[in-house]
Amino acid sequence: MKVVIKAQELTKRYGDLSALDHVNLDVFEGEIFGLLGPNGAGKTTMIRLFTGQIKPTSGSATVKGFDIVHEPIRAKEHVGVVLEVSNLYDELSAWDNLLFMAQLYGVPKREREERTKRLLELIGLYGRSRDRVGAFSRGMKRRLTIAAALIHKPDVLFLDEPTTGLDVQSSKTIRNLLKELNKGGTTIFLTTHYIEEADQLCQRVAIINQGKIITVNNPERLKASVEEQHIIEASFSPFQDLCDQLRELDHVNAASMIGDKFRLYVEDASKVVPLLIDFSRQNNLKIVSINTLKPSLEDAFVKITGLSPEVMMVEKEQRSEKSRNIG
Amino acid sequence: MRDATKRWVDGFAKAFYIAKKDAKVYYFKAPNFTYGLLMPVSLFIAFSIAGQIDSRLIVSGLTSLVVLFGTTSIEAVAVVLERQTGTFERLLAAPVSFFTLILGKALAGFFFGLIIATLFLVPLVVISGTSVANPALVLVAVASSSLTFSALGVLVSAYAKWVPEAQMLANFLRFPMAFLSGAFVPSKLMPSQLWVAAHFLPLTYSVEALRIAMNDSAVTFTYWFNLLVLALFSLALLAAAAKVLQKKIE
Repeated sequence: MKVVIKAQELTKRYGDLSALDHVNLDVFEGEIFGLLGPNGAGKTTMIRLFTGQIKPTSGSATVKGFDIVHEPIRAKEHVGVVLEVSNLYDELSAWDNLLFMAQLYGVPKREREERTKRLLELIGLYGRSRDRVGAFSRGMKRRLTIAAALIHKPDVLFLDEPTTGLDVQSSKTIRNLLKELNKGGTTIFLTTHYIEEADQLCQRVAIINQGKIITVNNPERLKASVEEQHIIEASFSPFQDLCDQLRELDHVNAASMIGDKFRLYVEDASKVVPLLIDFSRQNNLKIVSINTLKPSLEDAFVKITGLSPEVMMVEKEQRSEKSRNIG
Repeated sequence: MRDATKRWVDGFAKAFYIAKKDAKVYYFKAPNFTYGLLMPVSLFIAFSIAGQIDSRLIVSGLTSLVVLFGTTSIEAVAVVLERQTGTFERLLAAPVSFFTLILGKALAGFFFGLIIATLFLVPLVVISGTSVANPALVLVAVASSSLTFSALGVLVSAYAKWVPEAQMLANFLRFPMAFLSGAFVPSKLMPSQLWVAAHFLPLTYSVEALRIAMNDSAVTFTYWFNLLVLALFSLALLAAAAKVLQKKIE
């Protein structure tokens, strides 16, 4: 398989802080590759390095064989970038935004209008092409941002948190669009803190934390790596946050709250179920449901990083709130 | 050789597209024209009411001020705004060199300065009956000034983090320049320390070049010297802007 994105000992430091720490990575032609990690793990830094927006402190990175430091323009010509914020010009129409990107990426003059029209049709915004982008919804802006990244028919598409802050329908539309692009041969490199998104979309996933790649594998193999760990999902009535108390039980390695349920990561489910029954009696709780689960990618993430999935959920909410405040 | 030429042509074409986009997004809005024109027109009226003015002296000085305030008012905030909204990252990720990007930003202010100076100068010359010795030299002097002040605006914008900071910084530079450059009072009449200080300011050379172009039909050495100094200021300011901006991004 041909390597289209390569990092060798890639490091980015800001003073004493290592945003990326000696990262080695190969992304192959035609795959959807996901970079999964919590906020501050180094995902955006990696995208900014690969797309030539910043320079590495040490190490090297290539895209389509072009070094991002020594041949940045050649590398960028092959790349489409969708950054975390839908950074289009609100004052310009959808049409003018795409046309400007076509000019900036050197699309031949005779093809610019045709490509703009085709992309606007693809994302379902042709009818709104003359409207100012400032009047668009967040989902519409996101679709248009992706269209802007595709105007020069890039071989590689980088997306930083493509569905963050979007409603369910818009997220689904964008995931379907990415799958279609990948079928057409585009290599996709995306960052996400939505574990289920990485599971649904990516052929391979790298888990990153504190600037280091912890593991790279496909989602199914990552799940298989935690199958020796049992998972129990239980809910109690009346509902209250019991995470801390559940973590104290014998044989429980970790506990997290998902909706009105508690997920317990245990060594042996048969030993923990009786303990849960005792726990409910002692605390005057009624067990509403109790199930054992097959490990998910989220479970693999928890085991590999030692982080709680709640950390990711909290950040999502905080970030969505931040976006709302800015918007 | 052919590749290098193609790269330069592509670079200039892309700088022009960036300038065209900036013109649409930031510049060509009614308030920007009124802001650039309002203060110089008010000053001209004030001097006219006071009487005792040499119209060629004051028109050339005020034209330089129109270019200074017209270009820097938007240029000083254009990069700041782009960084705040995230659109600057879009430009950084595009296949354009940093020089092209900075040049594109400066070109938008350059064209705006030319237009606003024309809008000020032509009606004022017609209404006041001021004679212009060499219109072509006036145009060249306005163009040179416009590029220099636009580069100054890019530097301010590169340095500032927020729009109010950029505006404050721009005013901190513009107002002392306006009073020291000889736009109102010939610099020869100033105390010697101020006369020396005036020669570190680009507006001084702009005012002098325009004054020569309005008074002399022939090209003089001093005229070309002033243009050369303006060109050097432009290069130095653009280089400084690029350096500051690159440091901020990293």
